[in-house]
Amino acid sequence: MRLIFAILLGKLIAYFTRILKIGGGSAAPGLFALKIDPDLVKKLSSKISQNIVITGTNGKTTTAKMLAHFAKASGLKVIRNHTGSNLERGIASTLILRSHLTSGKLEKLDYDLGIWELDEAAFNSIAPKLKPKAVVILNLSRDQLDRYGETDKIVNDWCQTLKKLSPDTNLLINKDDKNLAKLKFCFGGKMLKFGLPANIKLNGLNGSIFQFTVHSSQFTVNLPLPGVYHIYDTVAALTTANALRMPINSCIESLKTFNPAFGRVEKLPFGYIFLIKNPAGATQVFETIAPNIKPLDRLLLALNNNLADGTDVSWIWDAGFERLQVTGYRLQVIASGTRAHDLALRLKYAGFDPKQIIIEPDLKKALEQAREGLKGRLFILPTYTAMLELQSILTKSGIKKHYWKEDA
Amino acid sequence: MKLIIGYLYGDLMNIYGDTGNIIALQKRAEWRGIDIEIKYISIKNKLKKGDADIFFFGGGQDQAQSIVAIDLVKSDKGKVISQEIERGVPLLSICGGYQLLGDYYKPHEGPKLEGIGLFPAYTIAGDIRMIGNIVVESMFGKLVGFENHSGKTYLNKNAIPLGMVIKGFGNNGEDKLEGCIYKNAIGCYMHGSLLPKNPKLADWLLKKALEVKYKKKIELKLLDDTLELQAQSSTVKRFG
Repeated sequence: MRLIFAILLGKLIAYFTRILKIGGGSAAPGLFALKIDPDLVKKLSSKISQNIVITGTNGKTTTAKMLAHFAKASGLKVIRNHTGSNLERGIASTLILRSHLTSGKLEKLDYDLGIWELDEAAFNSIAPKLKPKAVVILNLSRDQLDRYGETDKIVNDWCQTLKKLSPDTNLLINKDDKNLAKLKFCFGGKMLKFGLPANIKLNGLNGSIFQFTVHSSQFTVNLPLPGVYHIYDTVAALTTANALRMPINSCIESLKTFNPAFGRVEKLPFGYIFLIKNPAGATQVFETIAPNIKPLDRLLLALNNNLADGTDVSWIWDAGFERLQVTGYRLQVIASGTRAHDLALRLKYAGFDPKQIIIEPDLKKALEQAREGLKGRLFILPTYTAMLELQSILTKSGIKKHYWKEDA
Repeated sequence: MKLIIGYLYGDLMNIYGDTGNIIALQKRAEWRGIDIEIKYISIKNKLKKGDADIFFFGGGQDQAQSIVAIDLVKSDKGKVISQEIERGVPLLSICGGYQLLGDYYKPHEGPKLEGIGLFPAYTIAGDIRMIGNIVVESMFGKLVGFENHSGKTYLNKNAIPLGMVIKGFGNNGEDKLEGCIYKNAIGCYMHGSLLPKNPKLADWLLKKALEVKYKKKIELKLLDDTLELQAQSSTVKRFG
């Protein structure tokens, strides 16, 4: 009864937040419903045939979205938390919105696969509740020390959580990440490893081609996303798809129609958006775009320090902004966000001439300035909340649709 | 002219963006035509007098910190660092590095970790994490940074603090003091990174290093610090 009441309340809140346009209803319904029934996630997720959990510092959303895409291409019906709301309330919200009550009774959730991305901390409290068929651990590096703590602590907590999982769970782990090596001693079940595939050919911002090997069969993968970090995400998703017995050929084929998660890497009519949020991820983005920057292009970077970005901006000094340097011509750079001045300073110490840096903390104005007289392309690199703000600015100017209306 | 920066345990004590301090020292020297060499001094290296003209010691994770504490004493590096500081070599240490250069660190459980006693201060493990932006009034003017520590550091009677806390916690969240200065060595809890946004302090370290090395009075060439001071004042305005 408590569960039914919690679901009803959640649905009501979701309805009003949407009507009043105060958000996409991706957190609030779950937040309040969990107060009524704290076991809501456990109860509702048990009504799904199989659940998969994905965690790690970088690539969670892209990997989850890609796995969902594979599953749909394989004819499976998928439920997942898909707006980057990867705390318990986000998952609760998703489950509530997809639950159906018929004459006061809860029906079985009609899904073959639940795909849940959990952040480094939420993994420990939520993964056991989901009783996952597989757990995918992508990577671990320093991220938001004020929120998640140090990597030693994170890996120790993960270790304790893995010990609690049923030995029937499959653990999929990135074998190239040294920080994860310790985890193999924490888990009694079946472990599958993935890593960088063979014969990678990078094709600029268009993506890459590589060989994916499974059960000694080789498949050629044509990945339409740029950067080595997306190859890792793809290999993780393919390895998981294979463990779930999806047909690999059709998964790879389906990549042709795959759209990355909002703001992670996005093509705009006048350029690109690449999310940056921690040293490892940002450095990978810099390495990916730097060789593709041309003389007429411009760069717009936006650094916020809201709670979801991490209040500590010191991470920018561990990220390789030096790699963004181009030689032979002067690239115009606009520094924006609540900590635009910190960003501009980092760029100066990375070798940029202060004269080529424009500081405009207001993102809307910064975007206008960056687009004014733009003859090449604009590369926009925002932190998380700056990316959300950017989405809203672009939507209002008619360039983007609301993110929660995007296909799951 | 040339300076060698000794990056103490840079492979183990480098998690809080403190590398920005090395970048700041390097760039601000190079912009003045002073060559910089960065020497990594860690567990497997030896340290002797004159190896470095300026030391930097950052923060690390708990496990790394206890390994480093043992090595400082066992390998005699601690003793060499102390002797170098006595003859005026400048040093900047942040958080974990600062704690290990005091008298001791007392964890929640287990025995005390002996420090090298360079700073007349001691640290006791605390229960709450002191996290947030910090603004300090010091002999270098206002200093801004970001702190994230649970250890509480207390200065002995004769110790000189780096400054007074205007916003934030500082050494222990109780006495409004932040950091410690002994000769030309500074210890504090300010990440951020500290030196890029506080160029006066960065230049003071460079000047002291040159004066000790070349045994003469040094006047550093002025640099255009518009961006540095903007970043500093915008932080003070937001949080100070």
